[in-house]
Amino acid sequence: MVEISSDVIRGYNDTMILSILIKVPSYGYEISKQIKKISMGKYIIKETTLYSAFTRMEKNGYIESFVADPDPEGNGKKRTYYRVTESGTEYYRNKCEEWELTKDVIERFIEEKR
Amino acid sequence: METIRNYLETMFAGMPNTPEVKKAKDELLTMMEDKYNELLAEGANENAAVGTVISEFGNLDELAEDLGLQKEIEEVHEKQQETARRAVSMEEVSAYFKAVRGRAWQIALGVMLCIICVNGPILTVFLKAGPEFGVLAMFSCIALAVGLFVYSGLTGKEWKFLKKEPCQIDITTANTVKEMRRNFRTTRVWMLTVGVVLCAFCWLPCAAFVFFGEIAPATLFFMIVIGVFLIVYSSIIEKGFTTILNLNDIKTISGSYGKEDEIVYSSKTATAVMSVYWPSVTCIYLAISFLTFQWHITWIIWPVAGIVCKILNITLAKED
Repeated sequence: MVEISSDVIRGYNDTMILSILIKVPSYGYEISKQIKKISMGKYIIKETTLYSAFTRMEKNGYIESFVADPDPEGNGKKRTYYRVTESGTEYYRNKCEEWELTKDVIERFIEEKR
Repeated sequence: METIRNYLETMFAGMPNTPEVKKAKDELLTMMEDKYNELLAEGANENAAVGTVISEFGNLDELAEDLGLQKEIEEVHEKQQETARRAVSMEEVSAYFKAVRGRAWQIALGVMLCIICVNGPILTVFLKAGPEFGVLAMFSCIALAVGLFVYSGLTGKEWKFLKKEPCQIDITTANTVKEMRRNFRTTRVWMLTVGVVLCAFCWLPCAAFVFFGEIAPATLFFMIVIGVFLIVYSSIIEKGFTTILNLNDIKTISGSYGKEDEIVYSSKTATAVMSVYWPSVTCIYLAISFLTFQWHITWIIWPVAGIVCKILNITLAKED
């Protein structure tokens, strides 16, 4: 089975995470679960990749973190949540455009399955 | 879950001990824990869940890059290549503790003999024997003590490498040793307390000279000797635990293995109050005792202070 090489997907981990966070603020495991679900199990993000992306994007000001309890009744363990900032949303839009362009270019070189 | 925690600790063992790294480790652990629990909830067996979590963990090089830690990690690697840290196994640690217990006996007995030797001349007076017996007894005590010191010095040589070479223990060993130290704590507190009380009240028989007669000075030394034995013995054992728990490089994450989890208080005031709690209790105890001279009652302060301390710890400790 073909697997996605980490080099290829690297530039788009941020895009995936942002697309989830734009809908609703979320925390580590929940995000990785969403990525797995949306990709229909074809991509499983590694924990270290996810956490790297969080620190990098937080440093760049694309996301903000806050601590909250996932259990509405407040008897769960506290988790670090992330939400998108304005510049994060903008960055996401740029990345989407970039991807359209990338896809368009690469597609021209891909041999069509017949 | 223990396997996952140990795996993560091992992965981080050589990382520099900075707040960012610690935070990364905690966050990763939470994510892994979440995944593990969900896998179990979905009906996976424990081993399969651990396997999945570990295989989907990734690698730390990538993380190091984003945390800006490449330089530090390289430094740690270089240092490891220059002087490789000697890994100390749990078996070695157990053998070391056995040796420490032996040494504790030898040293404590030696010190004891050095003090008790003066009883030779004192007792000969009491027993109305010739002074030469007293002197003979005194010097044999000293000779025996020196013998013990030399012997413990020689047998201790085997373990010199723990102090001279850079060594390392893994997290499982560290946890086992911490557990052993916790188990020893009560014994140590008792030994220290009894030891100190014996030394502090060694003058009592002399004060009651009338009842004890000429043997009183000898009892003074007997009390001191037992007190000193307890203090020396427990201190050497405790030192053994500290030696092992402080082996790891404090600049790396593995350096924190030996640290006990400290209670974090909810506010600065609480931290300040708790840091002076026991010294204050001691002052209050001594002050009240000396003012009232009701030593037979004032000791009640200690158990009460202990309970109050537990309550304060629970109420002031930061949640989570």
